[in-house]
Amino acid sequence: MSLLASIDWHFIREHLPDFWQGLKNTLKVAGIGIAGSLAIGILLGAARAHRIPVISQLAAAYVEVIRNTPILVQIFFIAYGLPELPWHPIHLTQFTQAWLSVMIWGGAFNTENFRAGFEAVPARFREAARALGFGQVATFVNVTLPIGGRIALPSSINTYISVLKNTSLLTAIGYVELTSTGYNLESETFKATEIFIVLGIAYLAVVWTLSALIRLVEARLALPERGR
Amino acid sequence: MIGVLPDWAGPVAHYMIHDGLKETLRIAAFAVVGSTAVGILLGTLMTIRFWPSRALIRLYVEVFRGLPIIVTLFLVYYALPGAPLIHHRFAAFTGAAIGLTLWGSAQVAEATRGAVQSIPREQHEAAAALGFGWIGRHRSVILPQALRRLLPPLVSLLANVIQNTTIASLIGVTELLATGQRSVERLQFTSPESHAFAIYGAIMAGFFLISFPLTRLAIFLERRMV
Repeated sequence: MSLLASIDWHFIREHLPDFWQGLKNTLKVAGIGIAGSLAIGILLGAARAHRIPVISQLAAAYVEVIRNTPILVQIFFIAYGLPELPWHPIHLTQFTQAWLSVMIWGGAFNTENFRAGFEAVPARFREAARALGFGQVATFVNVTLPIGGRIALPSSINTYISVLKNTSLLTAIGYVELTSTGYNLESETFKATEIFIVLGIAYLAVVWTLSALIRLVEARLALPERGR
Repeated sequence: MIGVLPDWAGPVAHYMIHDGLKETLRIAAFAVVGSTAVGILLGTLMTIRFWPSRALIRLYVEVFRGLPIIVTLFLVYYALPGAPLIHHRFAAFTGAAIGLTLWGSAQVAEATRGAVQSIPREQHEAAAALGFGWIGRHRSVILPQALRRLLPPLVSLLANVIQNTTIASLIGVTELLATGQRSVERLQFTSPESHAFAIYGAIMAGFFLISFPLTRLAIFLERRMV
């Protein structure tokens, strides 16, 4: 009770527009990162599942490097390492650094999600499509992708949730999303309790909504023969 | 091996390994031990059919799995000292260890719940028939079996905790990433080049060398169990 009484509600009300602006930037960068990681996941996941030479091996290396290094170091590498690249420095705007780093991370995890999904599609489905005269690409687009994509959907939504949570680390390069909005506000006002409680509630609201979506999607898109 | 490095790299590597890497492994050790202990306890308690305790632990798990780790660290390090009854400011190291434990224990609790519930009913009944109480039943019969299933997720947790210690740099812990960052800043002032590409690349390589064997081990343990 004394916690509720000690909270400065006026302060929170006054700064709600700041938090809202930060949340919008979080959602913007997460949205781009999620869309990009979906595209990377489908393309490289297909290359891995169909064992397309060279691309499959490169994709495997990409997945292992991203999964076994901290995302915060990846962000630093893109933001501060690439501009110092000997011979060919790469300068990106802060916004590009932001979405690129979360997209590369999500793409690696999504490659694994979709590889597993595509590999779970029974070979007889593809054989049936080939027998009907479908080419390789048509078989993938009409059979493997819709069925394997459904199988991969719950785990890929989990990856999207992580992408969204990872945008909070963009604080480290100064991109003004929700967490850095709170952090900057804290260093001006010292209202740490109020600020980080608001931040926590905002993240939980978004993350829990997305988690509920997984359960909804799982129930709706469950393949009839794999139904629980 | 140090001999083949350029002049600037020797002291930097020494600083990053002796200060940074050591601190990284120290936080990781605290967080892994804490997460495992708290997580196994909470996960086992979650299997008791008593809704108030279940709901409370479920809330704990969902909150700390849902929050970005950096927000948990900020809550522990910046917001908690202002809360009534606490009024205690943790050192950055302690704050990071507590924050990572809150996150890690939520992961372990969820995995433990699944592992304990995967042990067949007959094991509970047989142990009860032999006269074991709830605690004895779990300590001597259920948890030893559940622990075998828990081993792969615990090894992946170790890899994840080590990676996530880098987030502690954002509340001022001088772990590996922070020592690299300081080295870059110092080189910027004292030499024509900051060597940021080489330093951040080396940090990535270092984490990869630690993490890759652990994720392989987790996959191996998982396959052996099936």
